[in-house]
Amino acid sequence: MTGTVAGGSATPGTAAGGSATPGTAAGGSATASTVAGGPAAAGPTADRSRRAVLAAAAASLPLLAVAGCKGIGALATPPRPAPDVALLRAAIAAEELMIARYDAVIARSPGLAAALRPLRAEHRLHLAGFRSRLIVPPGSAAAGAASPAPASSGASPGASGAPARTAAAISFLQGAERVAAADLLRRLTAVSPSLAQLMASVAASEATHVAALAAVRGGGRT
Amino acid sequence: MTATTVRRATAAEVSAMQAALAAEHAAIYGYGVAGAHLTGTDLTAATSDWVAHQVARDSLQAMLRAAGATPVAAAVAYRLPRPVRGAVSAISLAVTLEDRVASAYLGLVAGSSPGIRKFGARQVIAAAIRAAAWRGRTVAFPGFSDRALSPQG
Repeated sequence: MTGTVAGGSATPGTAAGGSATPGTAAGGSATASTVAGGPAAAGPTADRSRRAVLAAAAASLPLLAVAGCKGIGALATPPRPAPDVALLRAAIAAEELMIARYDAVIARSPGLAAALRPLRAEHRLHLAGFRSRLIVPPGSAAAGAASPAPASSGASPGASGAPARTAAAISFLQGAERVAAADLLRRLTAVSPSLAQLMASVAASEATHVAALAAVRGGGRT
Repeated sequence: MTATTVRRATAAEVSAMQAALAAEHAAIYGYGVAGAHLTGTDLTAATSDWVAHQVARDSLQAMLRAAGATPVAAAVAYRLPRPVRGAVSAISLAVTLEDRVASAYLGLVAGSSPGIRKFGARQVIAAAIRAAAWRGRTVAFPGFSDRALSPQG
């Protein structure tokens, strides 16, 4: 018998599995914020419809309260947010911090910009991937907390510590990449399967950045 | 209860491990082909990666047996995605092999056992590092990139 090296799509529900479970994490439709399952590419439509459902659910709460509806007791206990939400927020904050660190290093060492921009671009994709899975109903209290401070360039903690010397700046970024990857690895056992896959893939990308940064320092390729 | 007890893998986990093992078998075969067209540091790297895939294969076979499953066997031969005629196509094959392996290990990351998830994630990382070295650049989502992977008959 022969097999296919490239192929045989031997991976049902693996990489594609990222898109296979949109319903799992998003199951609790009443949560203040929830997690979408699909990969970034499949996001928009699913996001929009779920967003609409969530928005509608949120909007209906005050009406029920005013009406003194009998069923209000069922709403007295705030829904418990899925564990994915907290870990997703942590992952989002971590990516924002990584981008801020690259911003800071590029600002201090313009000579590194050409080499560092592609890596920063990948972090932006990571950030978009994580954000696409976090759904916050517009106007909800949680909406403001969706994007913590670090996005605002040099003022963020950690980014301000970017060294001026080239070698030190590269080491600084390498250390940050290692920590970010290790954090994702540690957290991916506690989240839904599809989010775990995204976290593993992002951790892998960050691990490759460490070697790519070494090549930048060595004046090698990349 | 005891820490040493091997947790019984779910059917989905066994299936994902078999898929990863099949990808490792293919990678071991593929590196054999690629290595024949490489020299110098590229050959050294290909040999090192070939060994890494054999080690991973052994781990998966042991995990499957511990789970009470029979590990899938390697095929006698594999169709290559493209003919390998020199160093450039050999390196391209290595990239494809690593992408497929990373993708297969993402299946383990979807497992329910923390140990299997972590094993899968570490292998995704290892494959991504090898792929980036062959590719000469990094990608944002290792294992999720399916470009250029369509099997050819």
